[in-house]
Amino acid sequence: MRKTFALLSLLTLPLFAADDSAKLDSSTLGGLRARSIGPAVMGGRIAAIDATADSPSTIYVGAASGGVWKSTDGGTSFKPVFDEHTQSIGAIAIDKANPSTVWAGTGESCVRNSVSVGTGVYKTTDAGSTWTNAGLAGSEHIAGIAIDPKKSDTVFVCATGHAWNANEERGVFRTDDGGKTWKKVLYVDANTGCSDISMDPGDSSILYAGMWDFRRQPDNFRSGGPGSALYRSKDGGETWHKLTNGLPKTTLGRIAVAVAPSRPSTVYAVVESKNTALYRSDDLGEHWQEMNNSFNVQVRPFYFAHVVVDPTNHMRVYKPGYSLTFSDDGGKTFSGSIMSMGGAVHPDHHALWINPKDPNVMFAGTDGGVYQSFDKAQRWRFLNVLPVSQFYHVNYDMAMPYNVYGGLQDNGTWMAPSQFPGGVSNHHWRPIGGGDGFAVVADPNDEDTVYVESQGGRIVRFRRSTGENKEIYPFAKQDESKLRFNWNTPIYASPTQKGTIYIGSQYLMRSRDRGDSWERISPDLTTNDPSRQKQMESGGVSVDNSSAENYTTIITISESVKNANVIWVGTDDGNVQLTRDGGKTWTNVAANVKGVPPRTWVSRVEASHFDENTAYATFDGHRTGDMKPYVHRTRDGGKTWEALATADVKGFAHVVREDLVNRDLLFLGTELGLYLSVDGGKNWAQFKENFPPVPVNDVKIHQRDGDAIIGTHGRGIYIIDDITPLRALNSETLSKDVAFLASRPSKLNIPAFEGRMEGDDLYSSGALDDVASISYYLKKRHVIGDSKIEIYDADGKLLQTLTAGKRRGINRVDWAMRMKAPKMPAGSSLVFSGGAFYGPRAAEGKYTVKLIKGKETYATTLELVPDPRATYTAEDRTLQQKTVRRLYDMLADFTFLTERVRTLRDQANARAGKLSGGDKKRLGDFATKLDTTYRNLVATREGGWLSGEEQLRERIGALYGAVNSYDGRPTDSQIGEADVVAAELAKQQTAFDSATKELAQINRTLSSRKLETLTLLTREEWEKKESGVVGATSKGQFREMISRWLW
Amino acid sequence: MRKRSFVTLAVALLFAVSAFADLTVDEILAKNFEARGGADKWKALQSMRFTGKMSMGGGMEAPISMTKKRPEMMRLDFTIQGMTGTQAYDGTTGWMLMPFLGKKDAEPVSADMLKEVKLQADFDGPTWDYKTKGHTIELLGKADIEGTPAYKLKLVTKEGIESVIYIDAENFLEIKAESKAKVQGQEVESETTFGNYQEVDGLLFPFSIEMKPKGAPTGQSITIEKVELNPTIADDTFKMPVKKAEAAPAAPKQ
Repeated sequence: MRKTFALLSLLTLPLFAADDSAKLDSSTLGGLRARSIGPAVMGGRIAAIDATADSPSTIYVGAASGGVWKSTDGGTSFKPVFDEHTQSIGAIAIDKANPSTVWAGTGESCVRNSVSVGTGVYKTTDAGSTWTNAGLAGSEHIAGIAIDPKKSDTVFVCATGHAWNANEERGVFRTDDGGKTWKKVLYVDANTGCSDISMDPGDSSILYAGMWDFRRQPDNFRSGGPGSALYRSKDGGETWHKLTNGLPKTTLGRIAVAVAPSRPSTVYAVVESKNTALYRSDDLGEHWQEMNNSFNVQVRPFYFAHVVVDPTNHMRVYKPGYSLTFSDDGGKTFSGSIMSMGGAVHPDHHALWINPKDPNVMFAGTDGGVYQSFDKAQRWRFLNVLPVSQFYHVNYDMAMPYNVYGGLQDNGTWMAPSQFPGGVSNHHWRPIGGGDGFAVVADPNDEDTVYVESQGGRIVRFRRSTGENKEIYPFAKQDESKLRFNWNTPIYASPTQKGTIYIGSQYLMRSRDRGDSWERISPDLTTNDPSRQKQMESGGVSVDNSSAENYTTIITISESVKNANVIWVGTDDGNVQLTRDGGKTWTNVAANVKGVPPRTWVSRVEASHFDENTAYATFDGHRTGDMKPYVHRTRDGGKTWEALATADVKGFAHVVREDLVNRDLLFLGTELGLYLSVDGGKNWAQFKENFPPVPVNDVKIHQRDGDAIIGTHGRGIYIIDDITPLRALNSETLSKDVAFLASRPSKLNIPAFEGRMEGDDLYSSGALDDVASISYYLKKRHVIGDSKIEIYDADGKLLQTLTAGKRRGINRVDWAMRMKAPKMPAGSSLVFSGGAFYGPRAAEGKYTVKLIKGKETYATTLELVPDPRATYTAEDRTLQQKTVRRLYDMLADFTFLTERVRTLRDQANARAGKLSGGDKKRLGDFATKLDTTYRNLVATREGGWLSGEEQLRERIGALYGAVNSYDGRPTDSQIGEADVVAAELAKQQTAFDSATKELAQINRTLSSRKLETLTLLTREEWEKKESGVVGATSKGQFREMISRWLW
Repeated sequence: MRKRSFVTLAVALLFAVSAFADLTVDEILAKNFEARGGADKWKALQSMRFTGKMSMGGGMEAPISMTKKRPEMMRLDFTIQGMTGTQAYDGTTGWMLMPFLGKKDAEPVSADMLKEVKLQADFDGPTWDYKTKGHTIELLGKADIEGTPAYKLKLVTKEGIESVIYIDAENFLEIKAESKAKVQGQEVESETTFGNYQEVDGLLFPFSIEMKPKGAPTGQSITIEKVELNPTIADDTFKMPVKKAEAAPAAPKQ
């Protein structure tokens, strides 16, 4: 034993040295932060809402794939509170007896084709700050949670279970110990899960549960089967009985059930059958009567298995469905047609919370977000603060700043600028396509043209300036079989041939005339298995053919930038097709991909940007229950493939993207987050900085700006601004203690600001700071010893000292690209004028950056470049720089003079108090003279900034601020005013110089009276004092800044 | 080869254990006090002054000066465009003076803020003698702070203010704290990181303090340039100035 330890200790040293070759992990990437640009102007699907009557301002919202959000202000603002965990939410329940305890069931149960998966049930006991997994991790989908109002530790979970394969962790589960252990109390079989649960509010031993026999497959959906039935327990879930009296005898599908809170003997159920209808029982479920089968009651029972009873009136019942309809006569008739809600509320309702004490007040959750009503569902207000939008694809253009485009689940296609002064906000987003949105391509030849689509290949050419649409999707020719388009049809622009676009049906189609004509450039590239083309029969008990089950289609296209004749195509039925001659001949290389089950959905193909024989592919088997990530690469044109996914990668894979500059830098999007590799796929690290484990369906890298644009299915779009530092990260840099990582040249952006006081109930990305980023890598956290960053100009003059980042991994430090703020004497108020708080902007050019860490100094260079949008000439710019520098120096001279005047005056007044007679008067007159000069220099009147008084301080300050806030030519008036204030300053200087002629005589007098003489402040003494530099540009910003400084 | 990887694993485990010995709250705090220079030296301190600058990102910067004096007095001054704002606490009254828009008188701080101020004015910090002060500290386990292993301690003060303190497992110095405070009635979660620890007369102080709202990209950072130990500071420095009664000079006629 002893010997072993000695051996171990001997080994320790070299082993730790080896261990020093730090591995890439999430912390390594930490200093790079993703920036969410929303959108929240449209929502994503909402699956759950809960609040309490006692504290209705506290609201929890569960998004179908965007996490849990909490508001404490009645819905004005929300915060995400579940960002460490699975983002797909199926159910949320607050323990009404103890509202700090909240349960969240992960895995939405509205199991549409794009449904995400959960990882069990979670619980918080601190009102959402921290959550722990409380079990049922394999259930994947949870429809409801019921908490015993008298026993907080007794909780029922309605687990729908797997959508894509059989599993046994489904049915109704009960815990009696707050989630430590679970008992499966209602189970039918491995194909049947729980679809809804309702507890009798007066007697918690009575429960109702719908059981649902269903299955999703890539090409088919079945709702209903022998397992489906409605059940009741009267003994707290120990035993359950099937309820049939009055319910259909035919095969049943999905069932929703709700007890009327104000009269628990009344129970409503929406039962899917050949005649889907609302049923009511007035005797605790013993007997049922069909009440209504209107359109909204019947529509898509698998998707809208919801029924909600008014908390105070058992005869008023709501049916969340395609729209939200309601009955006031116990379900006999439903008011409101499908059109009744007009265009104000997004269709497809999945959640409805009604305030138990004031049933006028409600929150509705739809495919398009959360709405609030104060008048019993008559009028609705949209809460446009939740960035839970579900993107399938994202894209960009070459505008400046570039625009981001994306297509969303049930929310069309939208575009917005990637950044904006003050932040990208709701009003920046523009809808440019309807239906469900998917791929979108900005025409590289024409900035006015965008190709958008809706489900099933409905491709449209959109004109931005006028909003006109031209439907351009192709039709099968006479001798061709019907074109099969996937739900999520690919549209793809050739990266090298501007104006060439491709789309995929079962054939690859190419257009060179903006979609006015299409050329078929392949045979059927799919398996063309007719047994998998029966979407007309999809749905089970109710037919449901929305194109969501279209199968044997092309879903991904990628052309090599090295050779435009090399095109890769992936199909939903597992084919990886390659042409090397622009589509004349095709080879299916899928069989060469080892380790991936045949016919696995090819979620993405990606041709390398460096070599025509290299390509990447992701495969997604989740539609058959295979949740493993598959990421593969070929370097020999598809003959052999290597698997790249490691054990660190979680979630089935949607997309792999190779960087445009560094071929070893790879981005991987899976159902559970974003992963990065800097060594060509050998190691992966999850990207977590301000980025939740959300489904990542698309990643694009902006060709010009080097930003990564991340399209998430549940949390909108994120941008990682400037990935240049990642391009420099490799095993060599990772092994260094300290390494600078290059950044792109920093643009001196045109200063701009838009003030909008729109309240807190909107979403904004926040402004992108106008800074140059300095990036470096630290192998270890810096804890002890000094560290700082210094910026030097080309002459070696120190311009700024900045706080250095200290974290392990990538650090990013911002420099505002300005000199220190101007000197300014105290006055009666701050000078609020454009750039008066800022120093002059640094000039374009190269700067030296030094990182000082303890005794070590590391250096690199940084480049500032002009904003390409600037319209002024170099001469204008030079004049501005000269003028602003003149005023900056003038402010320094002015401040020095003012301080001299002030300090001399104060000394004179002090000494005068100690004299008498003629001496006193003489010194008093001297002080008065100085005071007069002082009052000409700075505003001194009472009233602060409202006094409106302007003296030299206020005039030079305002002029400096004005000239400093515009980089081009100052106006003639400004240049004239500079001369005027300069002359005025000279005049005051003269007055002061003339006054100080008396100084020698005064000091002789003071000496003779044994008093301390008056001293003139020297420039050297004064320069030791430093005026603060503040960057606020408006009073509002200043107030915000000051409030942030308070303690 | 097989053997070697086994040994590597064993050493890695050994390392993991030594880096994270099972320490109690009091043992961790004892090591922390020791790392900061030891109790004797610290207790001998009567007052301190820190001068430096406060940066807000985007080029915003202001010179600041912070003074603390036993038993629980503190004062912070910062200067913008030559105008100085002050926040202070004399052991009883918390006040501030913000002259930037023309206001010349000091104002007392709100009751919520006063709780925070009191906590900050604790000369030795809340972890020292926490039991005597009526605070509780609980070890929540070990945490990974931006890739650095740390002990996670939860502090609840006598007044009920909660914060989480992270002490790094290697140096036993505080590297991060998270707190919940009420600002204008709203609960605001913020995080503070500490770094650049440097020795002054045998005591270790963080020369870099960065504060930001939880989850925000940037916040404010304080860089200390000079630390003075036991400077002479009159108690009056911390007292709220009495409103000036004297009339302001008459405005000159325009």
